[in-house]
Amino acid sequence: MLSNFDFSVILKSLPYLFGQGMVFTLSLTAMAAAGGVVIGTLLAMARLSGIPGVWHLAKGYVELCRSLPLVLVIFWFYFLVPYIGAYVTGSSTPIQVGAFPSALITFTAFEAAYFAEIMRAGIQSIPKGQTAAASALGMNYWQTMSNVVLPQAFRNMLPLLLTQTIVLFQDTSLVYVLSLTDFMGAASKVAQRDGRLVEMYIFAAIVYFAICFSASFLVRRLQRRVAIIR
Amino acid sequence: MTSSPMPAPTAGQPAVDADHAPKDAGLQPGSLVSGLPKAAPGETMIAIDAISKWYGEFQVLTNCTTKVAKGEVVVVCGPSGSGKSTLIKCVNALEPFQKGQITVAGTKVLDKSTNLPKLRSRVGMVFQHFELFPHLTITENLTIAQRKVLKRDGEDAKKRGLDLLARVGLGAHAHKYPGQLSGGQQQRVAIARALAMNPVVMLFDEPTSALDPEMVGEVLDVMVELAKEGMTMMVVTHEMGFARKVADRVIFMDRGEIVEDATKDEFFGSPRSERAQTFLSKILQH
Repeated sequence: MLSNFDFSVILKSLPYLFGQGMVFTLSLTAMAAAGGVVIGTLLAMARLSGIPGVWHLAKGYVELCRSLPLVLVIFWFYFLVPYIGAYVTGSSTPIQVGAFPSALITFTAFEAAYFAEIMRAGIQSIPKGQTAAASALGMNYWQTMSNVVLPQAFRNMLPLLLTQTIVLFQDTSLVYVLSLTDFMGAASKVAQRDGRLVEMYIFAAIVYFAICFSASFLVRRLQRRVAIIR
Repeated sequence: MTSSPMPAPTAGQPAVDADHAPKDAGLQPGSLVSGLPKAAPGETMIAIDAISKWYGEFQVLTNCTTKVAKGEVVVVCGPSGSGKSTLIKCVNALEPFQKGQITVAGTKVLDKSTNLPKLRSRVGMVFQHFELFPHLTITENLTIAQRKVLKRDGEDAKKRGLDLLARVGLGAHAHKYPGQLSGGQQQRVAIARALAMNPVVMLFDEPTSALDPEMVGEVLDVMVELAKEGMTMMVVTHEMGFARKVADRVIFMDRGEIVEDATKDEFFGSPRSERAQTFLSKILQH
């Protein structure tokens, strides 16, 4: 039965799969993760600030994102934001955002909610005495956060942040709904063009597995190295 | 830098461990304090005026009033839960209080117009659990607040930090992380870190309570030296030996109240209150 398969199609399409597809997937993952961590950290700080209004907003945002399917948010952002943009600017035609910026903004904003929960746990894991010591030395809130709390929280949570980034890496395959050519999209296109669905999807699965499995392995090793001695 | 008369490093100090002992010289001669304004005799440094504090319904401090004059060393003692740590944390407003007022070097702690970070940068504080920043080296621990809060130049900050580090006998540990030092060493770094800010007052919140017994001496040595150099100090401690040696006054607290506020000799000689007598007889027994 295997004789009916033609695995040479994979070899022929490698440059396209990796040169375009994987590069796209990795760039989207890296940019969304970087943006997501920054926004997530701000969300976590807002949620822990105890300032009425501010923390309610942050909590509401995080809970909302965590309660919606990602693919819905991708659709929603791509199809509805142009109309909202038009309404806000008073333009008569929809404001086109473009598929890539749209995907990047969606992933960043959506993942920020998950990163926010990780950073919130990280900030809360820093003993109160550390903030007291920073305050006693005359540091204000931002100085305490940026010099004392966040560097420690970030280090403590680095394994979790990276694990979430691996999830994000897998989730980026959802951009196929916007017809963007990520790794999965590229594999899919070749598969349909050449009628080699089984071969291409098996290959894509192997690649995703190999990358995520080795990344998880590296994260576990890193976990042992970054722990701060107390 | 002025050099002050110093007793030779404490004899018979137990070797901490083979790895640290040769590099840990203990307290070194030289000055710990610099840039202290000349004291007008009797000038009040900390005025605690009728403060009360509640956690919800529970009253932790009741109408506490006392004063600490410039250059004075005041020991605060009392049974656990008596509010002594809370009181000392009110002085730099790490703990807010609801009634009364505290004035530090002329600045009202509980005033809306008070720049709290600025006030705190002038009040050194040493904590029970040291609270060095574990992700930073000893040098960075000593310089970070100087640079970020006092906006000192990096080189100046480093020089001041390393001078003080050498002074507490830990010059060889500058590149290490706090987790690599013993408790006594960490606490001496913490004192150096506070001193690097040129504080006008030093607060100590049970600085030796979390230490193994053999490390208490090395920390007390530094505190005794500070007291001798004229630093204004408020010290929450159970170390009555320290109190006898350097305290000017002893405050005894129980159930959130200042029960006794007396000179050292009065307090140890003839404590007036029954509660203070009971407390003293308990802790001086052994």
